[in-house]
Amino acid sequence: MLSKPNSALVIVGHGSTLNPDSSAPTFEHAESIIERGVFGEVHCAFWKEEPSLRQILHYVECDDVYIVPNFISEGYFTRTVIPRELGLDGAVTQIGSKTVKYCEPVGSHGKMTELLLHRAATIAPGVPPGETTLFIVGHGTNLNDNSAAAAKREVERIAALGRYGEVLSAYMEEAPLIADWATLASQPNVVVVPFFIADGLHSYEDIPVLLGITSESPGAASAGGASVFAGNPYRLRGRTLYYASSIGTEPGFADVILDQIAAFDSAK
Amino acid sequence: MNTLTAFTRWLENGGVVVGQIAITPIRGSWELRHVEDFGDLQTHTRWQEARILANLTDEGAFRPIKTTRDLRHGWRLVLSTIADVVRALDYFYPAMLGLWNAADLTITDFRETLARQSGMYRITQKLTDDQAQELIGKHCAGCMKTMLWRIDPAQPITSLPPEKHARAGFPLLCREACNFLVGHARAVVKQSGG
Repeated sequence: MLSKPNSALVIVGHGSTLNPDSSAPTFEHAESIIERGVFGEVHCAFWKEEPSLRQILHYVECDDVYIVPNFISEGYFTRTVIPRELGLDGAVTQIGSKTVKYCEPVGSHGKMTELLLHRAATIAPGVPPGETTLFIVGHGTNLNDNSAAAAKREVERIAALGRYGEVLSAYMEEAPLIADWATLASQPNVVVVPFFIADGLHSYEDIPVLLGITSESPGAASAGGASVFAGNPYRLRGRTLYYASSIGTEPGFADVILDQIAAFDSAK
Repeated sequence: MNTLTAFTRWLENGGVVVGQIAITPIRGSWELRHVEDFGDLQTHTRWQEARILANLTDEGAFRPIKTTRDLRHGWRLVLSTIADVVRALDYFYPAMLGLWNAADLTITDFRETLARQSGMYRITQKLTDDQAQELIGKHCAGCMKTMLWRIDPAQPITSLPPEKHARAGFPLLCREACNFLVGHARAVVKQSGG
């Protein structure tokens, strides 16, 4: 088991100025890792919330620092914003007395496939996978964002297992559109798993409208309204549809964060 | 000296108030509560609950900046160790204990922050000095942080009262403009046709 009492872990998230839902899973994974006592220090840092990326390296105390982006894919944030804000120039950067090690984003880890399968099975208990279309939904079309490619990669891996009747990727803003789920899916059961980090604006408020399981935004998950997940399964357009919470809310993400550190160590 | 040791000494030397929170020893534990709260309060006992307590104002609005003067009322958080108090305070006032204890804290002036923006925030580089002063006067006045940065090395912030630049009480330090302010700068530039 990983043990780094003389190292610091910084988990980096996007965050939001609108509601606490975007950052909540990142904080929860950090709390889970703190409780395990693996690291000397564990911190979170965000682009749009506090603590800010701009502050974090000014007060981390350990000289050995691992940075793990809690992002679904490599892209603008992992390649441009995070390195720029932290002053990183590669996988390992020496900043004063600190050796800062920049790990791969969590969404790139091979365990994602297992977590997506677990989430899909949990949301639709007893539903035969062979008679189910599984959608992995990404954002798509973001600036220098590879979330669509990441969703496609996971779809290929899951499809290769041959468990589900059909496995498809779909996106909010590029074809194939998740709004067209009923014409895309061939099976009587439909399971939709958002390949997102949190139940934030996109997965909690936008995708349910695109699916048609709600006619208007249910409001932020933290706002205290009826949960969109409480309505499962939805009988809609001749199918039985199950809508899952974003993959990033899986407690297993904390293990993936630690796995990315182990992967970094073994590669260097 | 690490932050835990430094903060332990601060408490031992009679420190009580951090931001809007009073920290007092009670029967071998530490009680945190809003400085304006007395009497019957809802008790919490886990440091993790500080994140939830810090999230929303009394009216239920989200607090993306935690050093605004709108911490919710009505709770007390009872913790058994100073390590847990430090963790809780890092949720109430993210980064503030660490920056308070940081050796050789460097500052980053506003022009430097704007100069490195990319993507949708690159446009903030067009913000004029006058617009910057007005923006800072409007958005930073409600924040409790002590402002350490300037527009640029030759241009201090003149749109805030002097106490915003003084370290009084437990200092909550602002060593660089937050992304919230950069977001507002973008809106100002766009509104002015930039």
